[in-house]
Amino acid sequence: MRLTDFGMDTITLAGPLEAKLRAMQAAGFTQVMLSARDVVGHPEGEATAIARVRASGLRVTGFQVLRDFEGLSGHLHDYKVDIAKSMLQLGHALGAPLLLVCSSTSTHATGELEAVVADLRKLAMLAVPLGMRVAYEALSWGRHAHQLAQAWAVVERAKHANLGLCVDSFHALANEGAVDTLDMIDPAKVFLVQLSDFLWQQIRSREERIETARHLRVFPGEGVHNDLVAELVRRLERRGYAGDYSFEVFNDDYAQMPLASVCERAMRSVHWIAGRVARRSLPVLREVRAGPR
Amino acid sequence: MPVSEGHPTPTNRLGLDGLEFIEFTTSQLLVLGALLEKMGFRPVARHRSREVLLYRQGRMNLVVNAHPGAVRVDATGQPVTALGAMALRVADAGDAHRRTIELGAWDLPTRAAAMELIIPGIRGAGDSHIYFVDRHGDFSIYDVDFTPIAGADPNPPALADLHYFGVVQTAYPERTAAWLEFYQSLFGFSVLPSGRFFGVVNTGVLLESPCRKFFLQLIEPPAADGDVVWEEGLLRIGLGTPDVPAAMRALQARGIVFVDRGSIRPTDRGAVTQLYPGGVSFELVHSHLSTSPA
Repeated sequence: MRLTDFGMDTITLAGPLEAKLRAMQAAGFTQVMLSARDVVGHPEGEATAIARVRASGLRVTGFQVLRDFEGLSGHLHDYKVDIAKSMLQLGHALGAPLLLVCSSTSTHATGELEAVVADLRKLAMLAVPLGMRVAYEALSWGRHAHQLAQAWAVVERAKHANLGLCVDSFHALANEGAVDTLDMIDPAKVFLVQLSDFLWQQIRSREERIETARHLRVFPGEGVHNDLVAELVRRLERRGYAGDYSFEVFNDDYAQMPLASVCERAMRSVHWIAGRVARRSLPVLREVRAGPR
Repeated sequence: MPVSEGHPTPTNRLGLDGLEFIEFTTSQLLVLGALLEKMGFRPVARHRSREVLLYRQGRMNLVVNAHPGAVRVDATGQPVTALGAMALRVADAGDAHRRTIELGAWDLPTRAAAMELIIPGIRGAGDSHIYFVDRHGDFSIYDVDFTPIAGADPNPPALADLHYFGVVQTAYPERTAAWLEFYQSLFGFSVLPSGRFFGVVNTGVLLESPCRKFFLQLIEPPAADGDVVWEEGLLRIGLGTPDVPAAMRALQARGIVFVDRGSIRPTDRGAVTQLYPGGVSFELVHSHLSTSPA
């Protein structure tokens, strides 16, 4: 695990795109997970936003987020395919190697496995000529897929080289038991890991889960699930995951803080993770330390 | 055709039946035309409304597209000569188009003018296109869109029985698996067993068309060569011949130069021409594919 394996999501920071990119770089990050809003909402237009990202020297981790895509039919499906194509084109222009798609929350979406698989295969196919991969994430309030295991069942069934999983620690922790699920997952099919924690032990309702996810996440090491977050990363590492980690920390307080302070917290979190994972995954070292006592 | 043991019969849902034509895009019509003539192709017809020429050799159709809107540019905005498209013969072009779009292919904007055929197509690697053609034989697409060049033999014979053998496509690092999915799922191509190659460039992965009439070769950039500018796209065409040395002699007599250094040397199995202006090259491959009309 190296520092260059970690990046930040732009959604974690307030302010304009350029300030976010500068702050991340100043803190020592070398990659960035971009949101469509960074690009289409840029006051000087998309082309300028794309040029700024490309000139920043930061590697683009991926592009987010396509919502409510799978399980629709008829005109709703056609509409979403159009949206997906637009996002793929933007991601491609940014040099993003990956599009993140969250499991659908739509009441119009079927949960029928074959339909969901066909839609995600189609999305993965659309991404091929653009040089992008598609990572499917189980949103913890997804209508049909809300557990990591369910998202994995879809990806495994789809069996498409261009379709994999995004493991998001928030959604995994918000639905208990997800860490063990990692043992059933082919690490080569994990295309991205998004990291965050939150500040209370339990989330009691769907509404609370959404509220927490959108406003009250914190960096790993700042929350109350330290052991679980560290265990999640440790399992991924032990099973051979070699991809990127990105901090996706939606937090209203961080959105009111200077960017440099938030990026410092992110970098502190990298060191916290590295320390926890290295210490626990080196049992020999632990035994030696325990010896003289 | 006999099917070898352990080699599953590919499904051919689109009714693929070989390559109808290959298209080059260029702003250097004369330079490329001269090279194609050295390679044995002859101009036989001219497009009715665009700067497009049809070349032919034996059963190979080759379209040179110099229409301003079709010419590709490089990163610095300079026009480049490129393999722009491969057109696949299918049972029903509209059906093939609908089916591939349904599975996640990108549609191409149609560009036919009045009284011209609309050739449905999808996006391929890089800026290239894949067209679907279901009119071949007695009444062809060329009868509608092209006018014959006066005095030209409409069916110039092939040198050394040259015929289309395949197309080489470049892929970004670690993208071969995604492209395999593309060609397998959309068209029914099948991957040849690892280590089975034709010709003299034995790298990458070979795919056989479900009609067993041509091949695709996918190659990634060579490892440890960080200086290579590598884009995805169609790199070169392979021409099959039952007799590589005879084909080489015929082409050398016309001024074509073959690479003979390093790991790429002419053999009975194949040969590669030098890079010509615009980065164009051709590969000769000893071929078992029949050149006689189906």
